[in-house]
This record gives sequence, structure tokens and C-alpha cells, in this order.
Amino acid sequence: MRHKRISWAQFLSLPALMLYGMFFVYPLLRGIGMSVTDWDGMGEATFVGLQNFIDFFHDARAMHDIKTTLIFALGSAVLLNVVGLCYALLMNSDFRGKSIARVVIYLPAIISPLIMGYIWFFLLQPGRGFLHYAFAQLGMTDIIGSWMSSYPSALLVLVLVNVWQFSGMTMIIYLAGLQSIPSEISEAALIDGASNWQRFWRVSVPMLMPAIRINVVTNIIGSLSVFDVIMSLTEGGPGYATESLSIYIMRMCYGSRTGYSTAVAMILFFIILIPVLVSMRFTRQKS
Amino acid sequence: MKKWIAMLLLSLMLVSTLAGCTPAATTPATEAPAAAEATEQAAATEAPAQDVNLSFFTGKVETIDLLDEIIAAYNAQSNGITVEQEYQADASNIIKIKFASDAVPDVMTTYEQEFVDQGKYLPLNDMSQWWDRLIPSMKESCTDLASGNQYRVCTNMTMAGFFYNKQMFADLGITPATTWEGFVANLEAIKAAYPDVDPWFIFGEAWHLGHLIEFFPQGYIKAKYGATAAKQAFLSNDSSILQWGSPDGAMATFAKNLVDLQQKGLINADVLTATSDNCIDAFVTGKAAMFSNGMWCLSGILEKNPDMADNIGFAPYPAMMADGVPVVLVAEDSGYSIYVDSPNKDAAVDFLTYLFSAENMKKYSEALGSPSAFTDVTADWAPASVVSGVSDAVKSATNIGFTNEKPAGFSGDDAGRLVQDLLAGTYTPEEFALAYEAAWNAGF
Repeated sequence: MRHKRISWAQFLSLPALMLYGMFFVYPLLRGIGMSVTDWDGMGEATFVGLQNFIDFFHDARAMHDIKTTLIFALGSAVLLNVVGLCYALLMNSDFRGKSIARVVIYLPAIISPLIMGYIWFFLLQPGRGFLHYAFAQLGMTDIIGSWMSSYPSALLVLVLVNVWQFSGMTMIIYLAGLQSIPSEISEAALIDGASNWQRFWRVSVPMLMPAIRINVVTNIIGSLSVFDVIMSLTEGGPGYATESLSIYIMRMCYGSRTGYSTAVAMILFFIILIPVLVSMRFTRQKS
Repeated sequence: MKKWIAMLLLSLMLVSTLAGCTPAATTPATEAPAAAEATEQAAATEAPAQDVNLSFFTGKVETIDLLDEIIAAYNAQSNGITVEQEYQADASNIIKIKFASDAVPDVMTTYEQEFVDQGKYLPLNDMSQWWDRLIPSMKESCTDLASGNQYRVCTNMTMAGFFYNKQMFADLGITPATTWEGFVANLEAIKAAYPDVDPWFIFGEAWHLGHLIEFFPQGYIKAKYGATAAKQAFLSNDSSILQWGSPDGAMATFAKNLVDLQQKGLINADVLTATSDNCIDAFVTGKAAMFSNGMWCLSGILEKNPDMADNIGFAPYPAMMADGVPVVLVAEDSGYSIYVDSPNKDAAVDFLTYLFSAENMKKYSEALGSPSAFTDVTADWAPASVVSGVSDAVKSATNIGFTNEKPAGFSGDDAGRLVQDLLAGTYTPEEFALAYEAAWNAGF
């Protein structure tokens, strides 16, 4: 009888594989099984086939939540990359206080989004927040207004707070990318008569493709699965207006629709997977 | 050599990982052989409760410190039972995870109709040592309508109604209204006399807005049909009584009235973003004339402004419908239940009997700021002027309870979010009533 010997590397990867299996593969398989049942979290589960998935696409609230999640993700991903790149370009130049500025920009990223949401709520609270008082002193009482009373304004505030918090993280990745571009290339372009814009667009951006890929992918994943900043800032309100798909899943789960919520979690997984695969393919081609 | 070290480390990791997955054992750590240890554990399971660790789960923040004190005194009795309190702010959701993961506490203060329906609580009908001391109406409130069993014992009563600024009302020569027209007239009088004061302060937290539905449209049904018939209608979703979607029904009327007040500026402009703390702040500083809430907010008011004790008025909710009557919530509060499959039932009963002693319940009532449900407990749960005001309100209006018979898939918070939508202008009152009906039916 032949015994196939496992290699030293395979042997050392066993603990990691075990943890991966225990905390990812097993829950995933259980989740897939649960998503085709009507389990309420306590009683007996009954097999319902694909009914949960069909129900999802017939639920107006769920469709609205997809819209909200996609708008939030698109707005956040675009702005995070634009703002992060601008910050990185700024930090790549020389000016006094650069180190302090870099810390200040990055600092919000290490604070919990939940706490950050509560802080921003107390800053922005209509009629009561710090910024309301600050603007009132300047005679501009209505500049903040009741941003929570309408869907677009509440969503805009959420996107801006998210961008404010995580643009520092995006900046760091872009900065690393910019600093890894050999100066000779840029200097050669300068000698060839390229303008500043041409050097940025034709030299820096193509060389930044790996950084762009990382930033786009992580921002899309993070923004599509957004939960905490919305919970602390608007609780998905007013009503369900700014509810994201993650919050919907949580509420369905606690609302005795555990099987259904697991099915929605599966759908969210694919919603995240598709743009990530597309953006990875796109940026790989570019690079 | 490297392989052996790696093998050793891997084994250690496996053992520690698997050890973390095993249920907590109470047997002492000895170096007995494996077979003997297994026998010992089996014997421990079958043996009468000795050295029991009793898990107690609560979501009541007001009583944590007092319960720590009571539990410490109980544990010090050395009767072999050790109680461990676990507090979670989001208790009503976390208990569902505990049930789903089979990590259910022995004793809990969370109580949901869906758990009752699934037989998760131990029937407490035979606990005459508790029931004989309880106010009969509170025992009735603790009784499950479908089975006729009691699955929880409430320690306190709570009331909800309108808290109002007595001085402001006296200055204007107005008294709490009993009809909706009178109520609106009062708010208008306050607005005219004090333009900077919010006549009725409503905060936008979902639970609070959900409570408004409990007290107004559902309160109307509870008062009109009586507690039992209303509960049965809720449980069986009897649309002939509930009529949630009717354009002339209680729900649409409630929505119309609320939107009307909003348009007239008789409620605070920041209703959607105001918090309960903002409400208390506004009330204690004279920026709000009245607000709806339960007795649980009293300690917050007095903490922020102790001088306000004699200035706090309490009134029933005015009749919202033409054929309605004023109502006030008088409901069971702080209910204790035992898990039906708890291996420590006797210990749980022993602990609760200790907790429910008159001496402990006096302290409990004063910490909670609400009257005790036990007849042999006399507690100073609020300033005398508030107590007399509450007493008058309770006598003058129809008493209603909480709607525990809501569908499992449509919580009070869900209802509150619909009210947020209404106040944000997403729905007309008629659309709101239909949306509520649809959500209620879907919840079933």
C-alpha cells in the first residue's frame, strides 16, 4: 500500500486550513443549507427551496436597500479614490507640517466607524449639533438644515462621513504607489516636454494601477457591506430610507426570518463579488 | 527535530481549540484517568443541583447595580448556588442568538410572545408563594392568553402617559385634555403664549414612535373592546376589529392627527433626529411643555433637575377617536422567566424567591422608579407629588397594557420606523395606514 507523503509546507499550512475551514467553509456551508429553509432561529426548519431568493426579489424594501447600498458604494468608492489620490499627491510634495497633516488625515481610519458615526451625529444633529451652533454664530442657521428628513440628503451625509473617515487609508496606499515610481521616468517625460498633467496621466496613473486595484476592490467590498456608520448615524432612517443590505439582513435575522436573512446574505455575497471581479479584471488589463 | 516541534505546537493548538469548544465544566481539575473523569461528569449531570452556576440574563440597565448587590448577598449565603448576571443593552435581540445557539440562560428578563408560542419558558402557575403576593391585575397581565399559563412574574408596574409642566399649565389656566380637540387647543395655547417652547416634544427613536402607536391607535382598540378581546383580535389578526388600513380607522386617524400637529408646528421641528436625552433636557429646562413616556424616564428628569419634582404633571392620553376615551398605560414591568429546559430550575426558583422578598423588592422599586407589583411592598419610588398625580391619572382613565401580541415579524421598532416615514413625508396618512396593515399582515 502506497502512502502519499505530505510536504513540509502542506503540513505547516494545516493550522491555517483548519481555522479557515472552521470559521469560513463550515459557516458558509451551513449558511447555504439555512438559506433554503424557513428557519426562524429557534424552531424546526422546513425546506422551502429557492422561495427565499424569489421573495427577496419581490420585496420592495429589499430592492430599495439594494439601490441605497449601490449608491452608497458607488459614491464612496469614487470619492474615496479621488480624495485619497489628491491627498497622496499633496503628501508626495514637500511642505511644512506634512507629517502632522498625514497623521490627521489618517487618524479617523483607526477609529471605529460606529463611534465615528455617533460623533458625527452629535456634530451634525439638526438644530442641536455643534456645527449648527457654529453656523448659527455666523448667521447661517439653515446651512445644515434637516438633512435627515430626506433620502438624498441623508445618503449624501453618510457618503461624506464615510469618505472623510477612510480617505486616509486610501491615501496611504496611493502614497506608497507614488513613492515607488522611479523618479527617472518622470524626469525623462519632463525632458521630452510633457506637461504636469501629461506626466500625471500618462506616467503616474498607469504606474499606480496596482494601488488603484487594491483601493477600488477594498473600497467596493467595504462600502457594499456597510453597516456600522449607517446604524450610528441614521439607523437606516428615516424609516427604512437609508437602510443598507447588511442592516436589512440583521433586521430580518432578528425578526425571526433567519433562513430568509441567510439567503439575502448569499445574494449580498454575489453582489459584492461581481464588481470586485470586474474591477480586478479591468485594472489588471490596464496594468 | 523541527517536525517534532511543529507537531507538538500543532497538537497544543488543537487541544486548546477543542477545549474552547467544550461546554463549561464544573468538575474540579484533577489528573484522574479519562474513563473515571467521564463517569464523574455523567454523575454530576444526574446528581441533584449542587454547586450550581445559575445564569441570569437581563436588559434592564436601571437595575444592574442593585442586582449586583442583591446577587452578592444571595451568593454569600453559600447554599451551593452562584448566580451570575449578564447585562446586554440589546437584550431582546441577543436572547434570540442565545436560543438559536442553545446557550440559553436559566433566568431572564426578556419575554417575547414568539418564545411563549414555542414553549421556551417554564410555566410558573404553581408558584403560589409569588402569585399570592402579586396585585391581581398584574397576575392577569402576566398570563398568556392562548394557554392560560403564567410564564413570567413581573416585579413592578409601569405607567405611561403625558408628562407635563404643571407650572406652565397653571399659568395658562389649562388642564390636561380628555379629547383630541381639547388636546390640540392646549398645544395651540402653549405655542401662542410661549413661542420658543415645543408644546409636545416627540423624539425620533423608533421605539418611542412605536410606543405612540401602542398608546393611541392600539390603545383605542384596547379601550373599546377590552383587554382580553383586543388581545384575541391581535393574536388572531381579526381585521374586522383591527381595521388597520381603513381610511377612517384608528391608524389613519392617528397619522392624520400627527401630521396635522407637525404642519401646525405644535411638535418639535427636529422630531426625526431628536433623542430621548434631548427630550429630557428640553423638559427640565422649560423648552418643552409635555412629552409622552413611561415612568422609566422619571429618574432621568429628577437627576437633571431635582427641583422639578413638584412641577411634573402626569396625564392620560386624550381620546383620539370620536367614540374613544382617555387611556393610560398600566402595565407589567420587569418580568422574570425561567428557561423551560434549564437544568437548574430549582435553583432558579430559589434565587427568584430570594429576589422577590419584600425587602429586596422595596429597593428594586426605588431603583427602578416604578411602583412594586407586590402587595406587601411599600416603596418611595417617586416624589409624593408625582405619585399622587399618577394615581389620579390611573383612576381617571381606562387602563391599557402593552401589546405583547404583536406578530413576531413586526416589532414595535418596525412600527416606529413607519412613523418616521410618515413624519418625513414619505406617506400620506391613508398610505401610512395601508403600509402599517401590510407590514402587520406580513409579520404574521
